[in-house]
Amino acid sequence: MRSFASSRAGVRERVVDSRWTYRLIAFVLFAGAWEFFALRAGTFFVPSFSQTAAATLELAFDRKVWDAFLLSNQSLVFGFAIAVALGIPIGLAMGRFRGAEQFTDVYVNILLVTPMAAIIPLLLMSLGFTLASRVVLVTLFVIAMVIVNSRAGVRQVDVSLLEMAHSYGASEWQVWRRVLLPAALPAIMTGVRIGLGRAITGMVIVELLMVSVGIGNLILRYRGFFEYDRLYATVVLVVIEALVLIAVARAVERRVTRWVPAGGLRD
Amino acid sequence: MIKIAGVRKVFPGRNGKDDVEALHNINLTINDNEFLTVIGPSGCGKTTLLRAIAGLLPVDDGEIVIDGSPVRGPGPERAMVFQNIALLPWDTVLANVAFGLELRGVSKAEREERARGFVRLVGLAGWEHRMPGELSGGMQQRVGLARALAVEPKVLLMDEPFGSLDEQTRRLLQEELLRIWEATRTTVVFITHSMEEAVLLGDRVVLMSVRPGSVVEIVPVTLPRPRAGHVDTVGWSAEFLAITSRLWTRLRAMQPDLVRSPEAAAVAS
Repeated sequence: MRSFASSRAGVRERVVDSRWTYRLIAFVLFAGAWEFFALRAGTFFVPSFSQTAAATLELAFDRKVWDAFLLSNQSLVFGFAIAVALGIPIGLAMGRFRGAEQFTDVYVNILLVTPMAAIIPLLLMSLGFTLASRVVLVTLFVIAMVIVNSRAGVRQVDVSLLEMAHSYGASEWQVWRRVLLPAALPAIMTGVRIGLGRAITGMVIVELLMVSVGIGNLILRYRGFFEYDRLYATVVLVVIEALVLIAVARAVERRVTRWVPAGGLRD
Repeated sequence: MIKIAGVRKVFPGRNGKDDVEALHNINLTINDNEFLTVIGPSGCGKTTLLRAIAGLLPVDDGEIVIDGSPVRGPGPERAMVFQNIALLPWDTVLANVAFGLELRGVSKAEREERARGFVRLVGLAGWEHRMPGELSGGMQQRVGLARALAVEPKVLLMDEPFGSLDEQTRRLLQEELLRIWEATRTTVVFITHSMEEAVLLGDRVVLMSVRPGSVVEIVPVTLPRPRAGHVDTVGWSAEFLAITSRLWTRLRAMQPDLVRSPEAAAVAS
């Protein structure tokens, strides 16, 4: 009797303690509010939660949607890869060498503050309606985040570690490999993860505003035919892709930065 | 032998004004196999002096010569133990101890083998594969000491290595250091702000003045060796107390005494 009661209490505790419980509650509240206000609005411009969910399921098994995602993700893959491949070395150099900093700082700031959509006409004129112009736009969306975080990573390296390495006779290359890079890695990974989110935004925006293919083209078409449930369903699918990619990035980040103590880096 | 002759170090102030003279005409000879401790009021430039010997800081005047060759930068015959320990947080204890050997291109198998011996020497056997973040401050500094010993330096430079540790850990580590040093007898230059520590460990105590730092007095410590194993007897002996109190008298004379002068006390509050 006693053991039965305690095991029941154990289950209850586990359910109450689980963060999934709270996530589920939050989601139900969100979906309920959506359903309620959509029904009250009573207009087909605002599909209800259930309509959107049904449309999402339908589109998830639609060949045409998969093709659109594959096409769109070309620019994501190339643009993101280029941004990371260029951004990390640029950021590291800026963090370490004053000359590189003075030379490039203003351009990084321009990249950070310019509304990227405003660059699109310029890209169109120079590269046309091509994969290249989509890739360049995604790169521009991502690269500033990667640069700024990599630079911060190098800057916040504990100077006593650098001095220690020098006192044991480390060459510049050894300082990079054994001190600067490992110390900067957590910040670099943060930049990459934030950049990934920006890459997805860039990928969709470029198709909405410039090269009407892939996901952007789907969204524009559904809007044109007043299929708002499918329009929202497409957005939901993009969000799902983003969440999956960011979860993967976070897992990688955690793997390579296991030494970082809980509660962040010490100074 | 380390010969320090006429060494001067000035840190430039902003806009070329307010230069700070940290070291002023330092003359000092450190013998082979000597344990030299350096003490002085805070800001007297004792750490600056050590960094200059380590080759981490160029001097503006004078020269530091180790066994006939002038110091131009860090060298393999010197190894440093740092006040803030400076372990690589992403590496294991073993990799940290092997770090100096790694930089010198010693193969992985060999440097780990040698590092293991030094990990054992500082009493951390069994902790080889832990990360520094899992260790207490005292254990971390043991790793710092093992890292310095692992490169088998002729000169060990120690910059207030136990300064951030609690009293009990500090005493244990002092005893440990005595045990290791009395077995190896490398030349040690040891910076500290603790008079007891300076006397307990050193063969001679160098007393430095307030800024600009210069050598005021060199006090020989005549306490018998080996001191490891009977630190407590040594620590409460009449001779120990006499040397310590002599140091304190000199140190106190260098500082404005706010307690004895009511005017100064009023200003300070």
